[in-house]
Amino acid sequence: MTRSLLLTGLRDLVRRPLHSGLMVLGVALGVAVVVAIDLANTSALRGFARSTEAITGRATHQVVGGPSGLAQDVLRRIRIEGGLRASAPVVEGYVTALDLDRQPLRVLGLDVLSEGPFRAHLGGRSLADPGFERLFVDEAAVFVGAALADRYGLSLGRPLRVRVQDRVETLTVRGIIRSADAREAASLDGLLFMDVGRAQRLLKMGDRITRVDLVASDDEAERIAALLPAGVRLVSAREQAETVAQLTEAFQLNLTALSLLALVVGMFLIYNTVMFSVVQRRAVLGTLRLLGVTGEQVFALVLLETATASALGVLLGVGLGWVLGQEAVRLVTRTINDLYYVLSVTGAPLTAASVGKGVALGLGAGVLAAVAPALEAARVEPVEALRPSRLESRARRVVPGVALGGALLAVAGGILMMLAGRSLALSFAGLFAIVLGLALVAPLATVASMAVAGPIGGRLVGTLGRLAARTVTRSVSRTGVAIAALAVAVSVTIGVGLMIESFRSTVENWLDLSLRADVFISAPSPGGTRRTPVVSPDIPQRVVAVPGVEDVETFRRVRVASPLGEVQLAVADPRRPRSAAFYRFAEGEPDEVWERVRAGAVLVSEPFAFRHRLPEAGGTVQLQTDRGLRSFPVAGVFYDYATESGLVLLSSNVYERFWDDRAISSLGVYVAPGHAIEEVVADLRAALAGTALQVTPNRALRAGALEVFDRTFAVTQALRLLAVIVAFIGVWSALMALQVERTRELATLEVLGLGPRQMWGLTLLETGLMGTVAGLLALPLGWLLAVILVTVINVRSFGWTMRLEADPWLFVQALAVSVVAAALASVYPLIRLRRRSLAAALRSE
Amino acid sequence: MSRNPIIRLDRVSKDYTEGAETRRVLHEASASFAEGEVVAIQGRSGSGKSTLLNLVAGIDSPTTGEVWVAGTCINRLSPADRTLFRRDHLGFVFQFFNLIPTLRVLENVQLPAELRGRSPGEAAERARTLLGEVGLAGRESSFPDRLSGGEQQRVAIARALVQDPRILLADEPTGNLDDITGEGVMDLLERLTRGAGRTLVLVTHSLQVASRADRVHTIEDGRVVPLPGPRGRTELTQVPP
Ligand SMILES: Nc1ncnc2c1ncn2[C@@H]1O[C@H](COP(=O)(O)OP(=O)(O)OP(=O)(O)O)[C@@H](O)[C@H]1O
Ligand SMILES: [Mg+2]
Repeated sequence: MTRSLLLTGLRDLVRRPLHSGLMVLGVALGVAVVVAIDLANTSALRGFARSTEAITGRATHQVVGGPSGLAQDVLRRIRIEGGLRASAPVVEGYVTALDLDRQPLRVLGLDVLSEGPFRAHLGGRSLADPGFERLFVDEAAVFVGAALADRYGLSLGRPLRVRVQDRVETLTVRGIIRSADAREAASLDGLLFMDVGRAQRLLKMGDRITRVDLVASDDEAERIAALLPAGVRLVSAREQAETVAQLTEAFQLNLTALSLLALVVGMFLIYNTVMFSVVQRRAVLGTLRLLGVTGEQVFALVLLETATASALGVLLGVGLGWVLGQEAVRLVTRTINDLYYVLSVTGAPLTAASVGKGVALGLGAGVLAAVAPALEAARVEPVEALRPSRLESRARRVVPGVALGGALLAVAGGILMMLAGRSLALSFAGLFAIVLGLALVAPLATVASMAVAGPIGGRLVGTLGRLAARTVTRSVSRTGVAIAALAVAVSVTIGVGLMIESFRSTVENWLDLSLRADVFISAPSPGGTRRTPVVSPDIPQRVVAVPGVEDVETFRRVRVASPLGEVQLAVADPRRPRSAAFYRFAEGEPDEVWERVRAGAVLVSEPFAFRHRLPEAGGTVQLQTDRGLRSFPVAGVFYDYATESGLVLLSSNVYERFWDDRAISSLGVYVAPGHAIEEVVADLRAALAGTALQVTPNRALRAGALEVFDRTFAVTQALRLLAVIVAFIGVWSALMALQVERTRELATLEVLGLGPRQMWGLTLLETGLMGTVAGLLALPLGWLLAVILVTVINVRSFGWTMRLEADPWLFVQALAVSVVAAALASVYPLIRLRRRSLAAALRSE
Repeated sequence: MSRNPIIRLDRVSKDYTEGAETRRVLHEASASFAEGEVVAIQGRSGSGKSTLLNLVAGIDSPTTGEVWVAGTCINRLSPADRTLFRRDHLGFVFQFFNLIPTLRVLENVQLPAELRGRSPGEAAERARTLLGEVGLAGRESSFPDRLSGGEQQRVAIARALVQDPRILLADEPTGNLDDITGEGVMDLLERLTRGAGRTLVLVTHSLQVASRADRVHTIEDGRVVPLPGPRGRTELTQVPP
């Protein structure tokens, strides 16, 4: 390509700032969303990696026990009988730092004398080095990482109020650990170091420890494993870390898919602006061809212009993505903390990988979107410079072919989705193919609807009605695409909205079923469902003594090992059988099922059955008990939406037979008839004053659960809104293009007597028609999307089934959003129209 | 010259500003055209003929001076009111026809009548009659791109007349047509204006076309200068009905 030709193209970008700007914006928004979500996801993953690093240190293996931990004796056996000196006892627990934004902190109780080979994060020094003796100054001494200290201005001697299980304790900062290595420093964040004995007392563990860290060769490990008593196991440290990260895989993949969708909608925008620039420059392009420029050169020219604009968009998008990423990481981390794991992530630094992805996707999407318009441009014949309507009539001819291709793509997507099995990535690919395929049908749908709308409009409002419909058809290469973009965005709104609504109402229903007691008592959990604090053993008696209390149930939530990985156990009071609606599959009457549970069978939650591919009937679950590995028959599958990783429910009499742990996680209180719940709650609070226990009435607990639910979908909702915004800009740019293209036509109409109000009417009619078509297309597409999300994606992501609820209001809303978005998009073009000079407009070609 | 002028320009100046440069196209131009007259405007390319017509049509406004049409000073109207005024009093014929490509011939003609508030049925009725008068009966449902240039201009004339304006303005109506076709279009214009007592102001380069006018003006150095009439009449001798 010659230099002057190149300059022509680039100068054109500068000369039309509005359209270049839209192109840049389309790329920028898409890239920003992708980068933001990617940053949030990778920051969360890095957080996982660091937190496991900090916990495991250089240990190669860990010796772990059941819910009640390990006896000290295990350490003795490892050291003396196994002869392994590189072993260290660790006590681990969670507390909530009341004055530090109530953030959860992980207490790591370490044994100073045996820590040497393990933790690199103490600045390369051993705890026995000078300075670390401060850890023994007093009972409440803790060390914190420098990052945490700097963030909250913690200095030596500073008291630190924490909630530990059902108590509030005050610790003292006695040391601040600085590390020159940024990675190491980050891994210290969110940790409190204590002496192991003091940690035992703080966490009320008696003389038991959480685990023993080892540095051992494979041979040594094998030898040690043989020495361990029943219920105590040796696991490799890497294995331990990986299971944690896998937990949130599906959640993060869902976010990535949504962010890619924003990019796709952004592509529509790019296509639209490039197509417009081609249409508008037809005469210039024709002249260039006349001067001997080849079709290939024109093609390259258009692509190059788009690539330039895209590069600018990418630059902006990465910056914007970084800004958005800070908020996204906060939302994602909060959700992970709510649902999965205690994770401390502060900020999302820009990584080369995230930037790379943004750049590749942005440039790729930009150039890809420009291919079709560039081909059109290359096909401009020199004589076409003089024939305005050629390009559009060609566009209209390809409409049926595009629709056919789209339909085929959608069918292929459907097939892919059916064949995808459990692969979530393939399912999403199928979903994308369906959405894109159906979007390609939009131009045909536009032409068809306008053929119907024209005569109706003619009957209702006369010739202007026909004019409006035919205008939409005439520029279908742009109106059709704008409609497609809007339809996709709105259908995503409907689909995701219906999914969330259905999910929410399913969860609400389920809460009714599963929260049966009137009042719940528990210690606030510092980190979601993963670590459940313990309620002191004397609490049940104190609760029963409160007037109005009819009955008290105790619950226990623990995690135990199993051949399937760590399993969450829910230990329930055996006295109250569950109702039929509680079960998804169960053989026999609910009472019979419960009878089997009491006799030693377990119930598994739906996600558990899904994850581990348990059969609907006749399955078994193996669990690592304090008596060794035991197999439990599965009596049924129950609905549960509290944990995505799955839950095994057993009766407390069975639990006590196999495990030594007698701790209580929470209490359910049934209020006697004739007593007001509020009064009993007040009495309970008085009776439990001085503890950190929370007394929560049923209704408040439900509300709290739903609040967590809503928080979980905060990112989803934000992305949903963003897709609509991008689509809105798409419609806007299409309308701007239409107006510019029709400058002379509109001026002629004005000379013929089209008054200002009629001008508004005509434009609103056109945009209203476009919005209506988009809205009408979005309804079935959105419904389809909801069905796929609910019945395929959600099941494949989490194993949750839910009832799809069609809220007609959402459909009305979606239609209104489409029409209003389209109508709003016409406001600026109309205002611009008022500012131009009529005489000049008539002179334009 | 017994009657009041229906169009009067009173010391009208028009400047165009392009960047820092200001160019004066009309310079205190004054002129008046009587009701029922056929007036031709001539002048070199770029002399300001279209500008003058645009000022009369209210498409553009003068920098200074006043433009009076049918007793109204239209440059004092708001742009919106100017559109409404134009709709009620003026018909406009363009050099390049300016038909709406997405409207059929009939629809093109009936649209201005609808804009003025007539029902679509009535408007179509009137449009059909006018299309008959311009010799295009039977082409009602064609789209404009199927018509020849002369046919298109005849549609444009029918369209300009559908609201029954007192004044018809035409900017080089035959400029884009061959001589014979242009002759036909002029015949039509003359018949439809003189016959109905309308005023016709047309811009033309063609002497042949100008020779049919009652009066001819040229624009020189930004002023409107009357020429002796080609038919030897500088004054109106015929009073139309
Ligand atoms: N919007 C505008 N901005 C700047 N200059 C203008 C504008 N409109 C017209 N002109 C200038 O005003 C002068 C008169 O233009 P006008 O179109 O009235 O000429 P004309 O007599 O109709 O010429 P032609 O016979 O070529 O149609 C020209 O020099 C033209 O360049
Ligand atoms: Mg002119």
